[in-house]
Amino acid sequence: MRWMLRAIVAIALLVAAAFTVTACGSSDDSSDTNSTAGSVATVDTEPTGAKPGTKITLWHNSADPPALRQLYRDFEADTGIELETVANPSAGFEDTTLTRWASGSRPDVLEYHPTVTNLLALNPRANLRDLSGEAYIAKSGDLYRSAATVDGATYGAVIGFPQVFGMFYNKTVFERAGVEPPQNAAELVAACEAILARAPGVTPIAESGGSQWPVQVLPTLLMGDANPDNTWGQELRANRAHLDDDGSPFTRAMETYKQLKDDGCFNRDAASATVENSVRGLVEGKVAMVALHSDMIPAMVAAAGGDAARVDREIGFFAIGGEAAAATYIPSPIGSYYLPRTGDGDREAAALEFIRYVTDRGYGRYIEAARAFPVIEGTPEPAGISALAREVKAAYDRGPANIAYAADVPGVGGVMVLINKLLIGEVEPAEISEQTQKSIEQAAKAAKLEGW
Amino acid sequence: MASSTLTPAAGAPEQTAVRASEPNPRRRKSPREGGHWKWFALPAVLLVAIFFALPFVLNAGFAFSDWSGYSEEIGFNGIDNFRTLIDQEIFWPAVRTTLLYAVLVLVFQMAVSLPLALALEDTNRLNTVYRSLFFVPVLISPLAAGYIWKGMLAGNGPINGLLSFFLPGTVDTAWLGDPTTALPAVALIEAWKWSGLITLVYIAGLKSIPKELLEAATIDGANAWTRFWKIKLRMLAPALTFNVAVTLAVALMAYDVVAATTAGGPGDTTTVLNVAMRLQWGQSFFGPASALSLTVATLVVITAVPLVMWLRKKEVN
Repeated sequence: MRWMLRAIVAIALLVAAAFTVTACGSSDDSSDTNSTAGSVATVDTEPTGAKPGTKITLWHNSADPPALRQLYRDFEADTGIELETVANPSAGFEDTTLTRWASGSRPDVLEYHPTVTNLLALNPRANLRDLSGEAYIAKSGDLYRSAATVDGATYGAVIGFPQVFGMFYNKTVFERAGVEPPQNAAELVAACEAILARAPGVTPIAESGGSQWPVQVLPTLLMGDANPDNTWGQELRANRAHLDDDGSPFTRAMETYKQLKDDGCFNRDAASATVENSVRGLVEGKVAMVALHSDMIPAMVAAAGGDAARVDREIGFFAIGGEAAAATYIPSPIGSYYLPRTGDGDREAAALEFIRYVTDRGYGRYIEAARAFPVIEGTPEPAGISALAREVKAAYDRGPANIAYAADVPGVGGVMVLINKLLIGEVEPAEISEQTQKSIEQAAKAAKLEGW
Repeated sequence: MASSTLTPAAGAPEQTAVRASEPNPRRRKSPREGGHWKWFALPAVLLVAIFFALPFVLNAGFAFSDWSGYSEEIGFNGIDNFRTLIDQEIFWPAVRTTLLYAVLVLVFQMAVSLPLALALEDTNRLNTVYRSLFFVPVLISPLAAGYIWKGMLAGNGPINGLLSFFLPGTVDTAWLGDPTTALPAVALIEAWKWSGLITLVYIAGLKSIPKELLEAATIDGANAWTRFWKIKLRMLAPALTFNVAVTLAVALMAYDVVAATTAGGPGDTTTVLNVAMRLQWGQSFFGPASALSLTVATLVVITAVPLVMWLRKKEVN
């Protein structure tokens, strides 16, 4: 029996050693490439030295539209670099990406959220290459003031237009109920009442707890106007303001949300319905409003059987806030890229070439094919953008356009579960504030943020 | 641990049933004959050591660490992870939900499988077809099964259509979206998924009961109920041990069916420990996720092992 024990101990030691080596390996890699990353940041205009035939891997979102996939193929044709694409499913995108990431596995290029919240979870200083000084940053206005940047270092490239959050509404239903687009929480409550009274059979606001993330949108809108220039987000991140402070915009938004639920403004199956159901209901006129973001417009067109003109005719968009209207936005995860440190010179050069290609030589063609609004200067707006998308862009341009508070605050990933609990009457608004604040504290301490 | 306990019953419920009536010394002596038994045990011991014991020990370590995606360093932090999870009202609700889920699955499965096994006990062509049919769900991927049932149980799904046909008024309950029905509904799906296997094990157990015994009982005047209660059910003990252990282990470690149907909702009414773990993991809180994972393993060990030991003792008696 003793030999068997010895064998088990030996195996245990071997595996433990393997674990230790892997752990050291990953940290060694990052320290080795520190110098490479440093030089990348300063020699932005120098050629990357990428060699054709190099093979690199891109982890991307399975929801990448065809135009973006074409951009990846164009890059291969233009540079001779082979780009292997590995899709992370868009449902549970964050979970899947972070699970892969936590295993120590690294792609050469990573498509992921450019918000600081999500960037911190990648531990950028240790794991990502610093792209500060690259040409596209100066040509993107003040986009990188709030996106892909931590402590003054920019780690990402954003080529997609921000996701603008607001209310999509059915114009016919609004007309039938004699309702004008509401601007704030009180007007939204009144609009709901009017729709319930004058358009029987229509759900005033469709919620989709079954898809989880959509339930965060409406509360986010209702506190969006409290975050001009991201001041509130910065205060929350620095531990100077808290979600559970007296009269905090967060708690007020949750209270309005609860009131809407209690008034019967949501669908009866709000806790389990899917976002596809909500969008279909909106297009068919069975739903008056859905709080969503601009990247969901293609889903509306799909729900209308591909009839984009019908969507333009039937669906409108308005910005709303707790006190006053404001467009709330988040830099889009679709078309946002980071370069993880891999320690392989050839692959790192090829990955940098990818960033330069998609932000420069390939950008115009991509924007044209995607019929999307450009975010990098020097690229004209393409023809053929839908009227609804233009309406969203107009609201964003008209302003005020505030970044969502959550973009800069880590640890708010659990808020959707709490809102879902509110939908079934399991928690009160104040409890959501308390619990989420605790989660922020947990993440901020883990990230060793200043002030915690 | 679980697999080593289950293997004998799983592999041969029939033999175990017969062995129970044999004298003890012989059963204990036979494996040692020849002295080569160590070699036969080696693959199983290695598998358990590498794929169960070692990950269990390593994971146990992480449960007491501040491992997260936010930092490179991993340090010991005592029971902070458990404290955080309790403080955020995640831990105890998840433990409660998991235990309740396991009990529900066990009850549903026993209620369906044993009568089904008695009905399909005789081997004839029709019963063979039925046995195969009831076994099909076992072969379906749990995720696929979850998605299919999600559609079936939707407010406007076919189950409600059927109910509306037979009942007065319109039934439009969202079975998976209502906090009172969600957990039983998911437990029913899990029970449905595995009942074919459990039924087969019972049938194998029933088949192993010596015919003479039942005939003797009939001659002695025992009616069908007495034969079932006094003979069949007692002789089914090894099969019951196996079924209870497997069901409990599967239900306590549940993830896939819940993820596919409710993803833990509505609210947290179906958030079993593994779903809570996934949520923590998805937020890069790997330490708390490991703590939840350790809780699952501990729950399985502290509920399944004593239960199996108790049931096995009953078998001998």
